[in-house]
Amino acid sequence: MQPLLEIESLGFSYEKAVTPVFSKLDLLVNEGELVLIKGDSGTGKSTLLRLICRLQAYEEGRILFRSRPVESMVPAELRRSIIYVAQIPSITDASVKDNLLFPFSFTVNRGRTEPSDKRLLEMLEQFYLQDIGLHHQAMNLSVGQQQRVALMRALLLDPEILLLDEPTSALDARSASMVFTIIEHLNASQGKTILMVTHSNYLPNNAAPVTYMLENRKLRKA
Amino acid sequence: MSQVVEIGLWQLLLGLIFILIAQTASFVYHLGLSRDITVGTVRTFAQLFLMGYALTFIFRLNNLWITLGIFVVMAVSASFIVKGRVKERQIPYMLPTFLTMFVSYFVTALFVSGLIIGVAPWWEPRYFLPIGGMVIGNSMSALAIALERLFREMRQQKDLIETKLCLGANYREASSEMFKNAVTAGMIPSINAMMGVGLVFIPGMMSGQILAGADPLQAIRYQIVIMLMLVGSTAATSIIAVLVVRKRCFGKGEELLLSTAKQ
Repeated sequence: MQPLLEIESLGFSYEKAVTPVFSKLDLLVNEGELVLIKGDSGTGKSTLLRLICRLQAYEEGRILFRSRPVESMVPAELRRSIIYVAQIPSITDASVKDNLLFPFSFTVNRGRTEPSDKRLLEMLEQFYLQDIGLHHQAMNLSVGQQQRVALMRALLLDPEILLLDEPTSALDARSASMVFTIIEHLNASQGKTILMVTHSNYLPNNAAPVTYMLENRKLRKA
Repeated sequence: MSQVVEIGLWQLLLGLIFILIAQTASFVYHLGLSRDITVGTVRTFAQLFLMGYALTFIFRLNNLWITLGIFVVMAVSASFIVKGRVKERQIPYMLPTFLTMFVSYFVTALFVSGLIIGVAPWWEPRYFLPIGGMVIGNSMSALAIALERLFREMRQQKDLIETKLCLGANYREASSEMFKNAVTAGMIPSINAMMGVGLVFIPGMMSGQILAGADPLQAIRYQIVIMLMLVGSTAATSIIAVLVVRKRCFGKGEELLLSTAKQ
């Protein structure tokens, strides 16, 4: 397996005088892997994902994507390859279809063909959203449904790595299990590389093939 | 045209009757404005007399460098007034804002006095300073509104901006709505002024010229030029300053630097 994402000796703190969030943190994610990082609240799980896709700048160490430092890449190009889906998805006041397709208007995605309505409807079914039409107002969906729409939106851009920030934390057990089943399926049948962080205790340590614990500013294999 | 009817000292003091009315109202209704009205009145007299003497002196000197020096002082003061209204501490926006204001105001005042009115020399203080003052005064308010709106919306919509960034948007695409709203908010007052002028209100400059004995048809020409100038300078200053300041809200990785925490 090819290494897709390498993090070496990463150091980061929010303010210089404050205890760092990470210190000499290392991580390797290979192509096609599903990697789960577990940790308590406030240990920096979301921050780690935000640093990878450059939503925040780090001070020490290196983050490499396909052996290239992420800082050497055009931000939009990097974020087309590594898509971060936030814990609370940001949904605009428009239809489900508009929410799914607005990223295709961005310069970096213009070469991509917009999926047809038929393809979108098929995907909605795969994401257990068959009861929702493409013209349904996205703001009226439940948080669990919005979470799945946000996941679909990211997948339509066919990223090389999906960074999922607590995708199940705001959901009830049934919706959480549904979302996790989708994630497992994406990895197992489509070979999608996924790095997911969670503090959910309902997910056992063997829920993903590779699981790390984030503790004391470092990662250790669970 | 008729001669200007001069206002003598006693006539000027007679105007204080209006202040007496305001003071009485404040006293009767316990408005607590008595002190402010007194201070305001004294300041109005002091500041305007000072300005009158200063302008008389400057007009007599008729010196390019002194005229430009006063223009710079006016632009610097305006940028500090903008800073006081915007109250942003996280993003350093003062220098680009001042430079944009200075260049835009200078070009506008130069264009109006030198080309449209055709004053020779173009910097003649009797024309250049009042025109510059009007440009600075109006555009300053527009800029303060635009920048305040930009920072507020960028903070409120931080999640949406970051979602767009995460889906491949560049910083311009991710913040295009906030940019548009900020510039529009800054420009609306000067556009509204064009709609209402002559119908809802008679502009101060035109009233002043008419009271000073100018032909109303000449006064309106000046006023039209001033209105057009204000719309143009407001648009140019707001767009350039908001473009530059918006860029400063993002880091090298096009990450949004504005935090949502209270400043």
